[in-house]
Amino acid sequence: MRNVLSIMQTVAVWLGMSLAAGLASAAELTVFAAASTKTALDRVAQDWRTLTGHDLRLSYGGSATLARQILAGAPADLFLSANQTWMDVVEDSGALVPGSKTSLLGNTLVVVAHGDHAPIDPSDLPNLLGNDRLAMGLVNAVPAGQYGKAAFEALGVWRDLAPQVAQTDNVRAALALVAAGETPFGVVYLSDAQVSPNVSVVATFDATLHPPITYPLAVIAQADPTLAQEFAAYLRGPDALAHFLELGFTPPAPQ
Amino acid sequence: MSLSVTLAHRFPGHVLDVAFEAPAGLTALFGQSGTGKTTIVNAVAGLLQPDSGRILVNENVLLDTTRKIDVPVHRRRIGYVFQEARLFPHLTVRQNLHYGRWMTGAKVMDDAQIIDLLGIRPLLSRRPGALSGGERQRVALGRALLSAPELLLMDEPLAALDDARKAEILPYLERLRDESGVPILYVSHSIAEVARLATTVVALDGGRIARAGPAAEVLSDPDVVPALGIRDAGAIVSGQVLQHHDDGLSEIALSAGSLLLPRVDCPVGDRMRLRIAAGDVMLGRVRPDGLSALNVLPVTVESLRQSSPSETIVKLRAGEDALLARISNRSVSRLEVAPGLALFAIVKSASIARRNTDGSAG
Amino acid sequence: MTWLGPEELDAVLLSLRVSLWATLCSLPLGLWVAFLLARGRFPGRQLLNGLVHLPLILPPVVTGYLLLITFGRNGPLGRFLEDTFGLIFAFRWTGAVLAAAVMAFPLMVRAMRLSIEAVDPKLEEAAATLGASRVWVFLTVTLPLIAPGIVAGAILAFAKAMGEFGATITFVANIPGATQTLPSAVYAFLQVPGGEAQATRLVIVAIVISLGALLASELLARRIQRRVTGS
Repeated sequence: MRNVLSIMQTVAVWLGMSLAAGLASAAELTVFAAASTKTALDRVAQDWRTLTGHDLRLSYGGSATLARQILAGAPADLFLSANQTWMDVVEDSGALVPGSKTSLLGNTLVVVAHGDHAPIDPSDLPNLLGNDRLAMGLVNAVPAGQYGKAAFEALGVWRDLAPQVAQTDNVRAALALVAAGETPFGVVYLSDAQVSPNVSVVATFDATLHPPITYPLAVIAQADPTLAQEFAAYLRGPDALAHFLELGFTPPAPQ
Repeated sequence: MSLSVTLAHRFPGHVLDVAFEAPAGLTALFGQSGTGKTTIVNAVAGLLQPDSGRILVNENVLLDTTRKIDVPVHRRRIGYVFQEARLFPHLTVRQNLHYGRWMTGAKVMDDAQIIDLLGIRPLLSRRPGALSGGERQRVALGRALLSAPELLLMDEPLAALDDARKAEILPYLERLRDESGVPILYVSHSIAEVARLATTVVALDGGRIARAGPAAEVLSDPDVVPALGIRDAGAIVSGQVLQHHDDGLSEIALSAGSLLLPRVDCPVGDRMRLRIAAGDVMLGRVRPDGLSALNVLPVTVESLRQSSPSETIVKLRAGEDALLARISNRSVSRLEVAPGLALFAIVKSASIARRNTDGSAG
Repeated sequence: MTWLGPEELDAVLLSLRVSLWATLCSLPLGLWVAFLLARGRFPGRQLLNGLVHLPLILPPVVTGYLLLITFGRNGPLGRFLEDTFGLIFAFRWTGAVLAAAVMAFPLMVRAMRLSIEAVDPKLEEAAATLGASRVWVFLTVTLPLIAPGIVAGAILAFAKAMGEFGATITFVANIPGATQTLPSAVYAFLQVPGGEAQATRLVIVAIVISLGALLASELLARRIQRRVTGS
């Protein structure tokens, strides 16, 4: 009986402390960022923590999900989106600090194959696939899927290819299908292809085939602007960019 | 029509080891609870696999462990009436009754007669949930009978019922025993039920057979008393209605004399069985005088058996019948009771165990 | 249904088909497993119980991934089934059926197991003494008595299958007309700004179907119950 009581006491104290921590952290810096930036952004954040001593909380997710949460009043200070459209929706709602939106990064769209594979011409994909499928993000919703669809349309093969596309809810899931060998090919970002050991890049889409790939960054209006703007500036600086470039991102395409 | 059973089965803590024959009529497995009665019936039904044994019904081998014969339950042609009726709740009474026929295809010629015998015709379209306990048990009886069994098993079929319901069913069981021609193996720990129904009694004690034989003999045997429990000791005697007196008493003739009993509802000349409990018999060296008891029979002592530290059961010969008397050890020494001694038995009361012992009852 | 676009209608019809097949195919296996769990006395019973409940505990995405590496075209079982029976799950509606069936299985087995445990084995013994073989005992006594539990389990499984998302999209992706079930379509619509109207229409359809199924099962179970108990 005494044990039970002491356990309950411990649990109550722990719950109280978590609650207090939750309330206190409202003053910290919170960044909502697209899931595809996780590996690089984690490294940048670690650097910034040691440099400044400030704490950072990073919340990763799909750009659509994060944007909806910000529109619903989530306590974000910064938003790094992989999707220009959703950033525009957030901006139109008046949730951004005016003039804070900039393009932080770019990326390269590639075709990956399972295992080691010789380079291919993306226009040949309808023939190369046979009865198999091509993994892509949702072609009407996930940016990598939208860019890929645009590129195939520009190449004139989308009509043949469309029935063979297995769409996934995010681009990393498309990559996983290729890595597991369930689909022989997939369309992903170069930055994604570099983190998976079981795939090889077999084609790179010319940047002119699709709208520019861009990762817009903006400060959310409700934040304490000084700290958020400080971190935004650090993200645009050379130290942060080095991490991103190392993982396959590119500098932002000229607007 | 007969049943032959040889069984040995080991349980954690106790052992069952029995062999008996059950002729036509109703054979009662009788004894205190935990003596293995239900185990025997379940083994006959095939619901329990004994360690070793041999079971025959009318020369058909149901089980022979040495020859590795074990007929599955559903092919044993057994009618089993359980303590709880176990009617199928999703079927009507009619469907319950016909279940055995659906399964085996066996037809009973006189199913209408059985339904009337049990008085369940008005219940046919009802469901078991809407029946009383006594009605349920009668339907269960009918269901077992209508499956055209070669042997009926009944495991305390009346135990779950109150006295009124028991009185409702007992006559049906008697008619069943006398009219169906199917041998019945009947488990009970009630001496009243056994005395009334049984043709043959197999008395069990601690997993072994204490005594087996015709009901009147076994129930009058003082050696069986420990198995039956001291309270239940008593003798079965046969009698015939001699006369109904105007003062409300009936005179019953026994082989050793006659008894006056409260009005018996039988015509003069009817034969019957009476049960006289050992505790209702007193003994005297001289014919008593000035006692309120009316019934005195001359008897001879056959044997004595000490049944407890303070009491003795005395087996007596009264004409062609046996009587039991339970007296204190002190009385035994004071009266110098010994085998061969002629005494007078004062019978305080007797109950009618079974009517109409003429005819097919055997 | 004219207010549903063709893609939305496709998703609704596919979901109905997938859920129906998932329910029907898992019924016999579910019943068998429920019997094993309710009546079986064998070593590893608790292990089987845990295994059956695993999809209830695991994140659906994990279940989907396990299905992918087991039943995918490169998975050991997936390859065997394709080579032996020509049965392919990967990126087919059959795969959506498998995912939905696996996710719904614990709910189905639970409901059935409870109803089996409620059946008095003494009734089955009584049936055997009346000449019923094991098969007939099952068909004429056990099955009618557990019918309400089977109906409840089947409807629960159907409703769960209608709503399954995580395992399905992980295992067979989102292919309009092939594997884009109703929840997948809702998810896809919600990824696009302005997709709320389409998503809302589908959500209404989903609610109507699921509530209808639950209501139907309730009525059916009650009717069977009345017939069984006769009250």
